[in-house]
This record gives sequence, C-alpha cells and structure tokens, in this order.
Amino acid sequence: MHINCPPSNPPLLKVQELSLSFPNQEHAVDRVSFELAAGKTLGLVGASGAGKSSIARTILRLAEPYAGKILFNGKSIFSMNREQLKEARQRIQIVFQEPSASLSPRRTVAQTLLEPLRHFAIGDANYRQDKIRQTLQTVGLNHDALQRYPNQFSSGQQQRIAIARALVTNPELLIADEAVSALDVSVQAQILQLIQSLQKDHGIAFLFISHDLAVIRQIADEVAVMYRGQLLEHSPADMFFSRPAHPYSKALLAFARFESSARLRTDQLPASQGPGEHSSACIYAGLCVDRMPVCERLEPEYHKIQHTEEPHCVKCHLYDEVHADDKLADDN
Amino acid sequence: MTRTTWQRLKADRYGMSGLLIVLFFTVVALSVWIGLLGQGWSEVSGNSWESISATHWFGTNLLGQDILQRTLFGAATAFEIGLIVTGFSILLGTVLGALAGWYSHSWLDEIILWLKGVLDSIPFYLFAAAVAFALQGNRWAMHLAMIITFWTTTARIVRGEVMRIKQREFIEAARAIGLPGITVVFRHVLPNTVHILLVQATIVFVVAIKTEVILSFLGLGIRDGVSWGLMLAESSQEVVAGQFGNFTAASVSLFIMLMGFNLFTDALQDALDTRRIMP
Amino acid sequence: MSAVALNVKDLSVWFETQSGRLQIVDNISFSIKAGEATGLVGESGCGKTMTAFAILGLSPASGGTVESAGIEIGGTDISTLSAVQRRRILGRDIAMVFQQPGTALDPVFTIGQQISAVHRRHAGGGRNNTRQAMLDALEQVGFGQPGKIAAAYPHELSGGMRQLAMIAMATVCKPAVLIADEPSTALDSGTQALVLQQIKRLQADHGTAILLISHDLSVIRQSCENVMVMYCGRLLEKADCQGLFSLARHPYSAGLISCIPQISALKPSGINAIPGQVPTPSALPPGCHFAPRCDRAVTRCAQSVPGFGAGSDRGSDRDVACFRPL
Repeated sequence: MHINCPPSNPPLLKVQELSLSFPNQEHAVDRVSFELAAGKTLGLVGASGAGKSSIARTILRLAEPYAGKILFNGKSIFSMNREQLKEARQRIQIVFQEPSASLSPRRTVAQTLLEPLRHFAIGDANYRQDKIRQTLQTVGLNHDALQRYPNQFSSGQQQRIAIARALVTNPELLIADEAVSALDVSVQAQILQLIQSLQKDHGIAFLFISHDLAVIRQIADEVAVMYRGQLLEHSPADMFFSRPAHPYSKALLAFARFESSARLRTDQLPASQGPGEHSSACIYAGLCVDRMPVCERLEPEYHKIQHTEEPHCVKCHLYDEVHADDKLADDN
Repeated sequence: MTRTTWQRLKADRYGMSGLLIVLFFTVVALSVWIGLLGQGWSEVSGNSWESISATHWFGTNLLGQDILQRTLFGAATAFEIGLIVTGFSILLGTVLGALAGWYSHSWLDEIILWLKGVLDSIPFYLFAAAVAFALQGNRWAMHLAMIITFWTTTARIVRGEVMRIKQREFIEAARAIGLPGITVVFRHVLPNTVHILLVQATIVFVVAIKTEVILSFLGLGIRDGVSWGLMLAESSQEVVAGQFGNFTAASVSLFIMLMGFNLFTDALQDALDTRRIMP
Repeated sequence: MSAVALNVKDLSVWFETQSGRLQIVDNISFSIKAGEATGLVGESGCGKTMTAFAILGLSPASGGTVESAGIEIGGTDISTLSAVQRRRILGRDIAMVFQQPGTALDPVFTIGQQISAVHRRHAGGGRNNTRQAMLDALEQVGFGQPGKIAAAYPHELSGGMRQLAMIAMATVCKPAVLIADEPSTALDSGTQALVLQQIKRLQADHGTAILLISHDLSVIRQSCENVMVMYCGRLLEKADCQGLFSLARHPYSAGLISCIPQISALKPSGINAIPGQVPTPSALPPGCHFAPRCDRAVTRCAQSVPGFGAGSDRGSDRDVACFRPL
C-alpha cells in the first residue's frame, strides 16, 4: 500500500508502514505512515490504546517494530550505527504525561538537566552550567530551582522541568506524549503557551500526542487520527476541524464538541482495543454510521482528497469513486 | 544533598541518640579489634561468680572470667557478624534482585528466582549445620550460611521495587537518550530503593545477631572468641543457680545496640527521603 | 421553590504545622436545594476534596481541624453528631462517590454483596427486600441485567461500569445528598458522559441534591444548574451555570473559562492563560489570594479580603468575592 500524498519538503521524520505487535494486541500499530516537516506540529489523536504511544516509543527506539521504517533526517533509525544513533537521540526528545513520574525523585533538578548534556558530551562544565540556567529561564523557572528536588514543585513546574530536560540538547523533534493531559486547565494553557513559543523561537517540530481534540486544535498544524492501531485520516488542522473526512474523525469531533445530536453509544468509543484480527474488512466498519457493503469485504486504501496542496489522506471507501457510487445506489 | 541530609538528621533527637549509641559500640568494637579493650576475655582473673567490684565491674562468671571483658569482646563479635552478614547479603540481594527485576521474565530472572526458591525451602538450621560441616569448622561458616540464606528476602523486595520503578517515565526518559541499562539501573532505579534497603539492612542486622545467639547455643556459632550469644548460652545454667551477671550484661548490651541501630536507621531513612521535603 | 437539602455554614479546615497554620478551606458557606446539582470547580489543591470530606465529617488523614457554624442535611445539623451517630447517617442521608472506582470497591466481594451490605446496614429489612433494593439500584444506574452485574467481582467490570456500580452503592438508600468527587475524571470521554448522565437521572428521579466536584468546567457545565468557583480554599463566585459561562464576574472565573481549549474552525492565534501560579497553602498572599495574578487588582485587593458583594451590585443574580468584578 502506498500513500499518494506529496512528501513535505524535506521531511524531518518519516514513518513508513510501521507495524508493532504486543502479546495482548493492545497498543499495537498496524502499517502506519506519516511525515513531519521540520518546525511543524503534528497532532496524533485517538482513544487510549490506539497505538499512539507505541509509535512514540518506537521513534525513540524503546520498542522494536516487526515491520516498517522510521527515517530521521532521511536516515533509518534502525540501520544507524552507534554514533549516528547517539546523534539522532540527541535531536529527538520526549515529554511524558505524568509530571511527577517523569522526574527521578532522588535527583536534583540540576542533576536531571545535566544528565543528557554529560551523556552526549556536549560542551564543557561551564557551558553546561550556562545551558541549564538558560534553559530553565526558557521554560519560565528560576535558577534557585536547580538544587531542589522534584517533589518541591507543583505539577505544572515539574512539567516545565521535564520540558527543560528535553530542551537542553537542542532537539529538532520533541515528542509530547499526552504532555498536558494530567494538568489543570490553567496550567495546561501555560504549558501550551510554552510549547507554542518554543516552536516559534526555536523551530522545534512537535509530535503532539493527545486524546483531547481541543488541545490539539490549539497547537497542531496537521492532525493524524488513529483507531485501533491504524491511521485513518491525516490532514491539515484547519481542514480537519472544519471538514473532517473519515466517519470516525467526524464522530470524535462531534463528541468533543458535546453535540448531543451526535450522542454515541458507549461502546462506540473504543476504550482500549488493539487492531482486530487481520480480516479484510475496514477496521472501523463495525461502528461506522456510513457503513457500506464493501466495508465488510475490503480494507480501504488511503485516498488523497484533491482540494489542497498539503497532505490530506483518508482511509475510507467513501472517498473511493467506485464504492461511493455503491453508497449512492444503496441510499436509493 | 549530603549536607541537607545531615542537617535533617541533626534535627532528629531520637536519631542522634541512636547515632551516639552506634558510635559508642563502633568505638568499642574498633578498640577490641586493635587490641585496646576486651583482651582478657578468656583469662581466669578471679573466683567463680564474683559480684560487682572495682576490679570486676560486671562480676565474673562460673569459671571466674571477667564479664565486662567478655561483654566488650562480645560487642565486637556482634558488630562483626552484623556488618559482614548485612553487608554481603544486602549487596548480593540488591544485585541479584535488581538483575531479576530489570530483566524480569527472562531466563536470568528465572534462574535467580529458582535459586531463591531452593534456598528458601531448606530449613535454615539444618543448612547452617551442613555449611559448618562442609567447611570443617571454618570460623566463617556461620557468616556464610547466613549470607547465603538472608539475601533472598532482599532480592525479592528489590526485584518487586525495580519492576515497579522501571515502568515509570523517568526511566523511559533515561533510556530514550540511550543510556545503557546498567547505568539506568544504578543511577535511576537503585537510588529509589535506598529507603527500603536501609530498613531491610536494619532487619538483617538484628536478625543476624539474634541468629548468632541461637547458632552459638547449638554449637554452630562463632569459634575462637566470645559472643553475647555464647554468654547467654552460658547463663542458661547460671540463671538456675541465681547468677544473673552474664545474662544481664549480654541481653542489656544486645538490647541497647539493636535499639541504637533502629533509631539511627529510622532517622537516616527520613533524612534521605527526598520525597518528604516540602516546598 | 424546593427545600434546601444541604446547607453548609462557615466551614473551615486547617492544619497546624511547625511553620504555622495551613488554611485549606477558608470560611465557606453554600446551600443546595433538593433536586439541584451544584458544581464545585477549582484547580488541584484548592480544597475541593477537603470540603467534601469535611461535610461528611470524615477527618482528614493527617489530623486537620474542621470548624463550622453548622452543616445541615434536610434541616438537621450533622456537624455536632458523635462518631456513632454520624456513621448512621453516612450512606443513608448523605453519600459520596470517589474518583477512583477501582480502589473504592473491595476486590474480594461481589458488587451485589457490597451494595447489599450498605442497604442492610441502614435500611434493614429481610434478605429479599435487600436484594430487591440492590437490583433496583443497579438498574437505576443503567445496567440492563442487574443480576449479572451483582454477581460480578470488581475486576470483572470495566472502569466505567465500576463507577456506575459505585453510584448504585451510594444511592441504594436514596440519600438526600450525593457528593461526587471527580466521578468521571478517570474515565474516557464516552464513559464519562454516561456516568454524568446517570448522576443527572438520580437527581431528577429521586430529587437528590448533588454536589459535583470537578476540576473540569465543561463537565460541570454539562451536568449542573449552579456552579461555585473555588481558589485557595475560598469561594470566589457562585452563579448559575449559564450565567457564569456567558459572563463570569470574578476575574479568576473568567480566566479559568478562557483557558478551556475550544475547537474553533480557525487555529487560534494565541493561547489564553492566567499568568503566575497557584500559591501554596503555606505562602498565601494577604488580601484576595488571587490578587497577585489578577490584571484588575488594585492596592486594596492586596490589603483586605473581599467578601461576597464587595464589588458593585451590578447583576445581583450571583455572589462575587471581588472588589472590582467584571
């Protein structure tokens, strides 16, 4: 299968046909492809267990896929040698969901921030001290934070420290895995502001993973929707939020807007399901409101929607001219 | 970190008295080892069962040996057993437990768990006797038997704790920059088990000293020396005769030393716990 | 106008520490009428949960002090009851649902056994009577086959089902007041909606007064008629839900609402946020606790504490504790 989307130029991160499996199929990933250009933000959205975090962990090489490629700056991270991998890891950093769990409770902020600098042997002692102070300032914290322990900070401040740790190596790609989901709205807004300014001032690309569409709306340039391990739609954010193409995207959006007319059955939003058994059907066919006979028979291809320069792909038979005619025939 | 730890320790009155007791016994033990104190423990220096006097502060035992000398020497023995057994069994337990926890559900974990299961299922006193027999009365036989059997509890606790900690995000963050597993374990995982290890060390220390009493009573204990355990074994006959010198000296010393250690480690644990510092 | 079901007067909770008094809940008063749902919104650490515990008379774990001029349920003051008398009331007249449905149920008993135990304790009656009440309660919260759920152990249910079972347990004796502390926060959005829907149904069917505690304003907007905004242990604004969302009068409420991310057709050019951060209970600023973060603050705000009605009397439909309300 191939995506007909034109490549963004030049892609910082390119994920190709990535597949991962786990013993109980939860969090698995099934042939996911997407690209992320330097300095852009891709919002990866889906219910918990849809495989979003698995992709993040694979990009960081914390998990091994059984098929597919991940290219960072054009090089596959699975065929890099030690040095290249170290270089790549310096350029890719992550921020996690739970601020209290992402910092080692027995290490001071200074120790936490210095660790990546020492590991990658960046600069000398003076440079490192300057760098961590400067980075703390970037994330809005004072120098006096350096000698303190994580539990002496509020969760918002802890998340700022976690972001600072990710920033000290001057990354090109920052993965935010539900990075604001555990925060109060006012703190969430502050962290989103911070992320936005980082992007503007430092040109960092973000892979922003969230289950919350409203948060994605605030900062994403593009949106990719995942459902049970598959990527169902990938489109420019403005397009996604004004005219979502995939029935699942529409359902998610309606739900996020609390539209009562679109009240879903509770089983309609998958809590935590992995990809189904490899049948030939569309993975969303069971719950789809626009289901057609073909959806049960044939897995849809990715279709490009012809209205934009930017990538807009959707994995749905509705956008396949042949089957869309079927649908019309059915309706009549 | 060490400075703030010390400041918090200093503020804890019970902890400081514990530390004083520990220091006192440390000084006694050191003095015995370098030959300043307790050297006359086996010498018959008086009559049988002399009462307290200027020459025999704690009186004498059945054979006319000075109980003070024997108590001081016994402190060194207890220290030696406690430190050696605690040190080695905690070290062994931590390393094996950390390996088993970090590589949980791998063949390494299986082997460590199997070993632990085997050791846990052997009756301890039988095992101690077997080790003593196998080593032909070597003076370290008792220590070895305790180390071999005591590490399993530590390993079980550390394994569980490591398995819990390794799922936390700060471990993922450390692995994401490519730190080798061993560095992650020693820098990020094990420091978070220190408070548990301290408690465990206290328990092992106490258990080791108590076990020595029983083993000495059974004739499997220390050789070429005297211990509070041996003194208590002796006193079992003396108490019947109305002589409490040995009994009191050994049990009170044991009590004070163990209490000192407990108080000190309790305070140390609080002082080391960075999660307790409030903003 | 229906009767007042819960009336809280001058409730305070504080802790004495070496470094002084930590005021967690500062002199708050409110009432909820029967059949009404009131939301209590605030950020983590603002004292919401402590308020709930104080109303129930469950003393905080680390030995805080609770003081009030009266907590009335249906006109009876429960703040002066002895521990034994209070236990008779908990679960019968007032019940609570917690955030973590997983930890609030005992894993070794079936759902049915646990709900029956509550009913037996308070209502008595025969075995059949209790079983019927238990099944009714499960059916009430939307389980189609209550018998099947009753026979299940907690681990056999999903998070959402467990939370519904918790609500069934809380309501089996048809309490006059139900306090729900973040009942839907740990659940995914679909289940969240279902749980809120069931809470609303109880309110309609039994005339239960509901205090819904949440950090999420949109949850409260969906399910409550009234809302109270809490900050650093104080109530800053009490309003009806529609009113608050159309025009928040307290600058903090307004800030909080503007922080909620919206799904708009166009990408927002900037993100609104309240500057600064919530002070810790050990370092509360004098005067209005929000003053240091407030763009409308004047000297007076940092000197004296604004009570309700401190500002202009414009729009008397609500209580605002601000000298310069919006």
